[in-house]
Amino acid sequence: MRIASHPVIEDYVKGKPVRFFFDGEEAEGCEGEPVAAALKALGVKIHRYTVNRHEPRGVFCAIGRCTDCVMTVDGMPNVRTCVTPLAGGMRVETQDGLAPLKARRVE
Amino acid sequence: MKRYEMIVIGAGPAGLSAACVAAEAGMDVVVFDENQRPGGQLFKQIHKFFGSREHQAGIRGVKIGENLLESAKNAGVKVVLGATVLGIYKNKELAVRFGGAVHNYKADAVVIAAGASENMMTFDGWTKPGVMGAGAAQTLMNLHGVRPGKRVLTVGSGNVGLVVSFQLLQAGCDVVAIIDAAPRIGGYGVHAAKLARMGIPFHTSHTIVKALGGDFVDGAVIAETDEAFAPKPGTEKNLDVDTICIAVGLSPMSRLADNAGCDIVYDGAKGGYVPLLSDEGETSLSGIFCAGDVCGIEEASSAMIQGKIAAAAAARDLGYLSGEDFIQKTGEYKDSLKKIRSGMFGPESKGRADIARTDEGYPLSRSLLQRGFIADDEVTGFPSIAHGGGTRAVIECTQNIPCDPCQDICPQGCIEVGENITSLPALTGNKECIGCGLCVGVCSGQAIFLINDDFEAGYGTVGLPYEFLPLPEKGAVGRALDRSGKEICDAVVVETVNSKAMGKTPMLVMKVPTASLAGARFFRADADGARKGG
Amino acid sequence: MPVIVREKAEKPFVPKPDDDLLVCRCEEVTKGDIREAVHAGLRTFGEVKRYSRVGMGLCQGQTCQRLVRHIIASELGIAIDGVGRVKGRAPMEPVIMKELALSRRDSKGVDDYAE
Repeated sequence: MRIASHPVIEDYVKGKPVRFFFDGEEAEGCEGEPVAAALKALGVKIHRYTVNRHEPRGVFCAIGRCTDCVMTVDGMPNVRTCVTPLAGGMRVETQDGLAPLKARRVE
Repeated sequence: MKRYEMIVIGAGPAGLSAACVAAEAGMDVVVFDENQRPGGQLFKQIHKFFGSREHQAGIRGVKIGENLLESAKNAGVKVVLGATVLGIYKNKELAVRFGGAVHNYKADAVVIAAGASENMMTFDGWTKPGVMGAGAAQTLMNLHGVRPGKRVLTVGSGNVGLVVSFQLLQAGCDVVAIIDAAPRIGGYGVHAAKLARMGIPFHTSHTIVKALGGDFVDGAVIAETDEAFAPKPGTEKNLDVDTICIAVGLSPMSRLADNAGCDIVYDGAKGGYVPLLSDEGETSLSGIFCAGDVCGIEEASSAMIQGKIAAAAAARDLGYLSGEDFIQKTGEYKDSLKKIRSGMFGPESKGRADIARTDEGYPLSRSLLQRGFIADDEVTGFPSIAHGGGTRAVIECTQNIPCDPCQDICPQGCIEVGENITSLPALTGNKECIGCGLCVGVCSGQAIFLINDDFEAGYGTVGLPYEFLPLPEKGAVGRALDRSGKEICDAVVVETVNSKAMGKTPMLVMKVPTASLAGARFFRADADGARKGG
Repeated sequence: MPVIVREKAEKPFVPKPDDDLLVCRCEEVTKGDIREAVHAGLRTFGEVKRYSRVGMGLCQGQTCQRLVRHIIASELGIAIDGVGRVKGRAPMEPVIMKELALSRRDSKGVDDYAE
């Protein structure tokens, strides 16, 4: 999902490649880019399941307003992944209600 | 408590412009912005801006953002990123969160330039992953270099919907359709036309009924709307999409002004609740100013000018600018603001559906308003769409929008817009076109084509703006598309002009039969997917 | 404190097919919940909010406020500006307690915090 070449944008401001963990599995992203962008690049669509209806949610506003994309990051729930910079070794987990999903769902 | 002479909230076009003017006047200025990067929306706006030279017309938002940051740096403005202003209290005290703590500062003047938030609409399945704001799509692709999806439906045909749809194509996504509940396209005709000629369908009087799919979007149902914008039963159509972008307008982010205690009024034309402001952008509270979309939804060019006016007023009030200097400076700013606000899409005409003719008296293209392209029988009536004879620019700019860089850039003086920048461009007729293509590159609406009837016997050429990768090389064969995106004939690329002066809008020159010169407006290379970037 | 008295509408509540549509994405409040709140006698965004938790979630009504105002106005048959707004209040967004605890009245200039 990453854009390799663009007719107008010469290069994107990106940090070095780093490894992080998504639902316990190792993944790669760019340091400093929003966690949500790194996940989008990996094709991840679901960031959390809601408290009451257990419905899936993903990126909706991408600028930190709507809080739909919150996940559990390094053990802290409700972290807005669209405005949280990715760091090496970060543990990002799909959130189920207010807790991380125990087991990774297989699509 | 640490005191600043001016605290600006928001490092977007309005905020940075305000900070520059205040700092240049000698004030100690700090700007807080909650984002990790400054520039607000400018770095997502990779298209060329409209307006006149003083509004930096023909220059991309990204570049304008870079220039603004450079000016701010040179003026000594401090920009603190990742800093959220949590509240504005009595006596202009602000609580600001950054670096893991909340800090309190006092200001002599405050400029609130917090921008706008996207409006949303509800429909069955609107909470599914894959439904997102058009701004979200723009942020992901233009700032972070990640495609928001593969196949996209855009809901809303205002300028945001149109610009984002075009940018989706540039990022290598498919735009399956653009729909609007209203019977006419809301944004500039030129923005719609560049999508229509690539074959992107417009469905006016259509709304989205449902996002299909289980855990995420794998389709959409749209339907025709009745007079009340409600879906008509039995008119449903399924679209194969994985992403739905919502572009149904913006609302001013007036919460901070409200929190500060400024008088707030509801103004539907401005997009919702807005602070009550003086001519200078001052709220009902002395020393607290607003600038940009917070004051009412417009665009970046006017936001920048509003920021300058507010900062000049604050500088005068605090003794950094004399009364005469203020009048002189703001006089220029206000003239500039008036210019950019003029025309049939300006704030005073916003939402009007009754405009049937241009200021010059030409009937507006109905096909452009409904389907995104000028119909063949409508095309001939405009002053710059004359045909016949040698090389010349054909300017398919048929609505009164504030823009005139084509007039400035032509080295031969072939194009005339005149004093009033919303006038339709006209060909002066007394000057010889040298076929340089600069007008094709500079036109923010990508509405200028270079036609040469006398290329070779039976054939002529059409030069067109082509902002996609890969850029077809000389000799590439393909099909010419007409304004509606329909293939009309074979075409061969005979030249591409991509000099620095074109500003990353290359001109592709294709050879087509003489009979197709009047209709051929886009090129599709034969090779699989050659049109797509990335 | 002024006491506001609200009375339930006389006519019975009429369910609609789209009552199950989520409007407040954070607190998962539906269109039906909002319509019922209006039917129960509530008149403004502020009242409906306190009754139904609409707009009280993580995003603080930034996504749904406009939608909710439209539903209330349409239920009451009044113009949108008659529904009122939620007063902008500090903090503008949720703040973790630790950050609030580290709130400083004697903050240094922003330069002193530069990395």
